[in-house]
Amino acid sequence: MDPTISVSKGCFVYKNGATRAGKKAAGKRKRPAPGSSSLLGQEVVQQPFYAEYRRAWNQVNDHIADLQHRSYARTLEHLVDFVVGQGQRASQDEVLPTAALLTGINQPDHLSQFTALTQRLHAQKAARVCVLQSRDCATLKAAVESLVFGLVEDDAGEEDIDDDEEEEVADRDRKRLRRSQCTMKQLKSWYANNFHSERKPQLVIILPDFECFAASVLQDLILILSAHCGTLPFVLVLGVATAMTAVHGTLPYHVSSKIRLRVFQTQAAPTGLNEVLERVLLSPKYAFHLSGKTFKFLTHIFLYYDFSIHGFIQGFKYCLMEHFFGGNAFALCTDYSKALGRIKQLTHDDMETIRRLPSFRPYVEQINDCKRIIAVLTDDDYLKKKLPQLLRDCLLHFLLFRSSLEFLTELVGDLPRCPLGKLRRELYVNCLNKAVITSPEYKECVQMLSFLSKDEFVSKVSRCLERTEQFLTDEIAALELGEACRAVLRPQLESIRKSVDDVVKATMSTTTTSPIEGRPTPDHLTQVGSRQELKEQLLQRSKEDKNRLQQNTCTTHFARALQKTLQLIGTHLIQGHLRPLQDAPPIHELFVFSDIATVRRNIIGAPRAALHTALNNPHFYMQCKCCELQDQSQLVGTLPDLSVVYKLHLECGRMINLFDWLQAFRSVVSGSDNEEGNQEQIDPQIQARFTRAVAELQFLGYIKMSKRKTDHATRLTW
Amino acid sequence: MESIGSSLETQFPCREAAIGILNELIGDSKEAYPAAIYLFGHSGTGKTALTRAFLKKCAKNQNVRVAHLNAIECYTTKIMLEILLDSLAPEQKDSLKVDNMLDFVEQLRRWHGASGTESQGFLIAVDNAERLRDMDANVLPVLLRLQQLTSLNLCVILLSQLPFEKFYNKTGLSEVISLHLAQYNKAETQRILGSDFAHVRNQLLEQFADDNKRLEICKEAVTEEFYNNYLNLFLSVFYKACRDVPELQLTAKKCLSIYLEPVLDGTLDATDISRLWRHIAGPLRSALTQIYMRIEKPPEETEDFASIEDQSVRKLAQSLELPYYAKFLLIAAFLASHNAANQDKRLFVKHHGKQRKRMQTVNAKAKTSDKMSTTLGPKSFSIDRLLAIFYAILEEKVGLTCNLLSQISTLVHLKLLSFVSGEQNIMDGSARLQCTIGLEFVLQIGKVVGFNVRQYLCDFM
Repeated sequence: MDPTISVSKGCFVYKNGATRAGKKAAGKRKRPAPGSSSLLGQEVVQQPFYAEYRRAWNQVNDHIADLQHRSYARTLEHLVDFVVGQGQRASQDEVLPTAALLTGINQPDHLSQFTALTQRLHAQKAARVCVLQSRDCATLKAAVESLVFGLVEDDAGEEDIDDDEEEEVADRDRKRLRRSQCTMKQLKSWYANNFHSERKPQLVIILPDFECFAASVLQDLILILSAHCGTLPFVLVLGVATAMTAVHGTLPYHVSSKIRLRVFQTQAAPTGLNEVLERVLLSPKYAFHLSGKTFKFLTHIFLYYDFSIHGFIQGFKYCLMEHFFGGNAFALCTDYSKALGRIKQLTHDDMETIRRLPSFRPYVEQINDCKRIIAVLTDDDYLKKKLPQLLRDCLLHFLLFRSSLEFLTELVGDLPRCPLGKLRRELYVNCLNKAVITSPEYKECVQMLSFLSKDEFVSKVSRCLERTEQFLTDEIAALELGEACRAVLRPQLESIRKSVDDVVKATMSTTTTSPIEGRPTPDHLTQVGSRQELKEQLLQRSKEDKNRLQQNTCTTHFARALQKTLQLIGTHLIQGHLRPLQDAPPIHELFVFSDIATVRRNIIGAPRAALHTALNNPHFYMQCKCCELQDQSQLVGTLPDLSVVYKLHLECGRMINLFDWLQAFRSVVSGSDNEEGNQEQIDPQIQARFTRAVAELQFLGYIKMSKRKTDHATRLTW
Repeated sequence: MESIGSSLETQFPCREAAIGILNELIGDSKEAYPAAIYLFGHSGTGKTALTRAFLKKCAKNQNVRVAHLNAIECYTTKIMLEILLDSLAPEQKDSLKVDNMLDFVEQLRRWHGASGTESQGFLIAVDNAERLRDMDANVLPVLLRLQQLTSLNLCVILLSQLPFEKFYNKTGLSEVISLHLAQYNKAETQRILGSDFAHVRNQLLEQFADDNKRLEICKEAVTEEFYNNYLNLFLSVFYKACRDVPELQLTAKKCLSIYLEPVLDGTLDATDISRLWRHIAGPLRSALTQIYMRIEKPPEETEDFASIEDQSVRKLAQSLELPYYAKFLLIAAFLASHNAANQDKRLFVKHHGKQRKRMQTVNAKAKTSDKMSTTLGPKSFSIDRLLAIFYAILEEKVGLTCNLLSQISTLVHLKLLSFVSGEQNIMDGSARLQCTIGLEFVLQIGKVVGFNVRQYLCDFM
């Protein structure tokens, strides 16, 4: 470091070749090596489970991003065309071209959409873009300033190719720029200086949350923009969450006649979610699965609470983390070949984790050789030898499950009233949660299917077969165990197809052979105890008769062939492959995440419940000895003051007398020993503690001091 | 200096009188200008366009320095003064700095002293002058007396939609010359719309340039008479609703293509007005509902007015995507807004006890429609009450979670609910909300989620 030539004492800044801390420099610096970016230490990052987690998450995330990019693409293309098209168009007098993008609610999600738009426009070098948030536009002055600032500062498009000279001009402009200087006049001169005749970018202003803007600011802003339309090529993009009526409701005639509005519709959030679910989460590519309940839980949050796809993906990510954090054994949750490689790395503890899985027990129980049981339970190496087969069974099961799901979706998805559910995700949840074959919904479906006419039935089943075949070739075949999966499924599908052929050939003629019922029909009414009993028995009998009658009438060739087909489907596909989770092969827990309680606790915030627990039972959080309670409603003097006051206030009605409260507080805190000693004299220390606790309770929003009644507090919660 | 007036008269038909007066007042820069002129009239009567054209002519012919600004832009006085100085400054150099009115007047005075400006005129036009009232207190008085203060030959033209009486304040204002631009009557409107016939015809011919057959028909059919007939029909529908000329011009252009369609197809004769009328009446009426809206269709889609205007409440409510619970919250908010709080127990609690019938209540019950709370408008309610009703109308049990509470603020953002008071202190429970949607809308939402809203409204019991 050079010494300074200054004679005075002081601090001196040495720049050491440092550049101005601009956007570019910061962008470059902010890219540390991938390993160290994690909050977690090296010892965690290098574990196999973490590596596997990262791989799985990146894969899923990329897939989703790609999918969303493609689904946005169409609207975005139109929008970009619109913006660029305004450039060629001879600008009409004082009419502001405006695009209204109907985005649907949940605006935080849409920011990504607008970022994508910005990037595209930058890529085409067609526009300068300024995203104007409503929080920056409390007043017209603030709005115009941030608008101009945003437009001038927005130079992402220029960075790469621009020659130095022009950048310098921009630099100089920027240095001069202060917030208070950002006026339309400034913008005009900046535009005239920086963009000469040949290359004139549009100035795009995006308002992502139209509804949140104050109406008056927005009106004035639009009037100003439209007044400058002649000289500056503005294009306004509005992100509208509700409907076009919101726009017309906000803008009066004299404003709305200043804009030229084009409406763009984006994909609805539920459709977007369905796409993500079906293409990504239900894709057979990934070894990680969500259990039916977890899956339902996450979609429930989406559909019932917030419509946020981003939120859903984060929830999914949380499940993924939670799953892999279970230990290195969960690193096996990956492709078959990779998992085989990982088996060798497993330690004794990991093997114990596997042995402790709930589904491991039935596996052990079904081995009928004592020695082998002991070997499985104690000898790690033996189990390691066994593992590949188990993993293979598991993975294959999921592939078969997924393929059969495809068949079932086509089969029952469009039945009237959709007893089992219409969408693939609903069916997935149903099939995982319970044995579908025995459920009444499935029986209803079968009944409805058997009511179909011959043509309908045949075409339906062949459509199902086609779809499944298609799925097998498109998605399954490329996978590692794809061939095995196809080998299992193909003969079954073949047999179903044959049976369908039988249906085609079958005639409608009735067969004479009515099934001879083997069940013993009680000839006479067994001892009838009461009128009630008699009635029940009669009812039951008539029901049986009806059943028999039905079976007899539909025994045509066709009906029997149809029944046979349905039975085949039932046994092969549904009973065989669409088994509920508890019947899945052993160690399926390695692949399926089902710890719904943890997820629920961690991703859904319940502030009121948490506060109640904390105050009602401080031991839950503090884990201290003094606050242990046998009963929730118990009052102990050793509890924190706030907690005591809270519990006392729970017993009161709407109005709480402070003096009574204080007395109760005193008796709890000081114990009941000196009750009659000094009834009038209250220890000032206790009074101070009480006052403080009440103030804290008020701060938490549970009570309010009443103005109507002296020395009373009002309860605010119930 | 007759030239300014006469050249403008062709450009602005039916405004001869106003142009004449303006010409007398500020037509000659050698004569003394009046201090201020106040020009007012409804929107679309040509105030701004006329003034702009007039000023332009003045600047060109007589070397008058002019400034035209929009008061909306001037959210601070400084911006206004800078714009004024920029456009009035004698030569183009670095923009002058002014911070307040005093500096501005000083600057103008300096010009007075400078050589060569004695005979020069200055004209300042301020659009949306009603905004000047909200600016600093000295702005409007100074503008009106600017001539006196600067001793320049200077005139300020204020343009506004309000009569000048609305500008009076406590301290009083100096008198101005008011000039009213009346609305065009029907004949005048037709004349103005008809004046761009040649332009319209050329555009049409250009449009069909590559379609020979249509071009021929177009050439033959589109005559001045045909166009005037069309405008006559057009105005018979629109004139009652809208007198804003630019708007009418735009809509007329849009509808012309529909009017022309059967003629071009050869199905109707260009002179068969009654049948043409029958053809155009429907589209015109639907176009009437979306006047001023300026919704533009992408070029690939044909002009289809019916599809855009399918925005009935029913459609809207069904197309509005809301999460399930948000819908119930909205319904709960509506119920809270339109039922009295003392009726809640009766409505939402199962064993609410027997209600005693008394003559008084019976009389009170005999409500006339103006007493109905659904027609009286929404009342405010607290968040506690909203949640209580929400839990009462929802069959399943849900936890009071962050996700649920954040839905309330989402609804506020979407302007379906609004804060009445206490927006600052939501924490202590005194914030009050209001539901802003109508009965029809909420009934539709109720239908979507399978909930009969009417059953829970006191008005319909």
